[in-house]
Amino acid sequence: MGVSAAGRIRLRRAPLLALALVALFTGLWGGLILLGVLTPSVLVSASGAHGPLMALGFLGTLVSLERAVALGRWWAYAAPLAAGLGAVAALTGASGALGPALETLAGSVLLACHVVLQRMAPSLHNAIMSLGAVSWCAAALTWLTGAEVNRFAPLLAGFLVLTIVGERLELTRVARRPPWVQSLLLIAVAMFAAGLAASLTAETTGVRIAGVGLLGQAAWLARYDIARRTVLMGGVTRFMALALLAGYVWLAVAGVLWAVNGSMLDGPAYDAQLHAVFLGFVMSMVFAHAPVIVPAVLRVALPFHRRFYAHLALLHLSLALRLLGGDLAGNTGLWQWGGILNETAILLFLALTISTVLHARRTQERRVPEEQSRRVPVRQATAHG
Amino acid sequence: MFDLLTRTLDSGLVRGLLRSVIDPELGVNIVDLGLLYDVTVAADGGVEIDMTLTTPGCPLGGFLDDQIRACLAQLPQVRGVSMRLVWEPPWEPAAMSDAAREQLGWA
Repeated sequence: MGVSAAGRIRLRRAPLLALALVALFTGLWGGLILLGVLTPSVLVSASGAHGPLMALGFLGTLVSLERAVALGRWWAYAAPLAAGLGAVAALTGASGALGPALETLAGSVLLACHVVLQRMAPSLHNAIMSLGAVSWCAAALTWLTGAEVNRFAPLLAGFLVLTIVGERLELTRVARRPPWVQSLLLIAVAMFAAGLAASLTAETTGVRIAGVGLLGQAAWLARYDIARRTVLMGGVTRFMALALLAGYVWLAVAGVLWAVNGSMLDGPAYDAQLHAVFLGFVMSMVFAHAPVIVPAVLRVALPFHRRFYAHLALLHLSLALRLLGGDLAGNTGLWQWGGILNETAILLFLALTISTVLHARRTQERRVPEEQSRRVPVRQATAHG
Repeated sequence: MFDLLTRTLDSGLVRGLLRSVIDPELGVNIVDLGLLYDVTVAADGGVEIDMTLTTPGCPLGGFLDDQIRACLAQLPQVRGVSMRLVWEPPWEPAAMSDAAREQLGWA
């Protein structure tokens, strides 16, 4: 029996997703070490590389794979491949520079993708996403110089925030809004980007400026994103909108924390500043878009199910526990439980996604023979799939 | 549904059926969003579709391709589906139907 076109696509893309999952699992492992709930003797390097593993190895691989799928050029797949391999290299410690160098290459290829897209259809949203890829490159290059993660953590956030904000601006074109509204977002993005650049030489001042930019972007998204409208619809559309809107709340929290504190030195404020962005905003976006992106990338069916609200709710509640009970109140136990439950939310998301895909496949496989026996011509129509 | 199965296959029928293919994030169907540029139906039951996305950076082409094929597979009159993603002219909000605008709060 031959492999279908969709099956061949899955086989080609699955290794890249497997690399992303390696980065995710080891990143989560490193997170548990940082929380102080594990003192392992294996993969200790995962704690030092926790940030790059999660932001570049996992999320960077996913984002660049998504862009490669959209562009449909073979060379674009070098970005997720290098991002995933860079994470593995950083873990094994094969060479101190290999991981950061591969991540720099990955960011550069992603930037090249955006350049091609900009030539195909010039747009502000793509320009903002390109700026996100520049932030990735700057983070990886800073890492390459041997700098600690604290130093380039704002740039890692910059990559993901600008990528998502660009995507949201694109989709928000379907909503009616006055032309000048776009300028407001542009001001916030410019302030954020300027703050990130300044953070390389004047850390606290730069982060504070970037924080004001974050707050501006959060306010713009909360006011003008189409999610405010689509949250009134049902099913998967409402689920996605709720995840988006919850993410904007955390982005605003991050903006306030960055603007008020600014310091990127280890401690409760640092923990809150980063995880409000990476978990509250970015991971919520991942949960929101999974019902669409997983089928788009892997060509599998992922029917929406209400149980998806379980991992979404757990993510946001556990993050509130971590930031309020742990970072703000100074209760180490609550901070650790918050962190453990954050990771549980991500693992639950994976488990529910995979089980729903497998269930849908089994249902489809049962249905197909019945259809074949009833309507031969229909199978001809779907055979191209 | 029975009516669809017995009707003569033409572009109107295909467009009508494709109103059930929804952009999950917007909750609006791809026809009202203005993503369908051209639908051609051959005498042998072959359907050719030219469609676009709101931006070339959108990865949903494969997702919508699968949805469209699954949707048209309901019609026994369809003998094959050929899909093409096109970028000219670029999609603009003006391509949306009145129904889509109303749904998205333009009214």
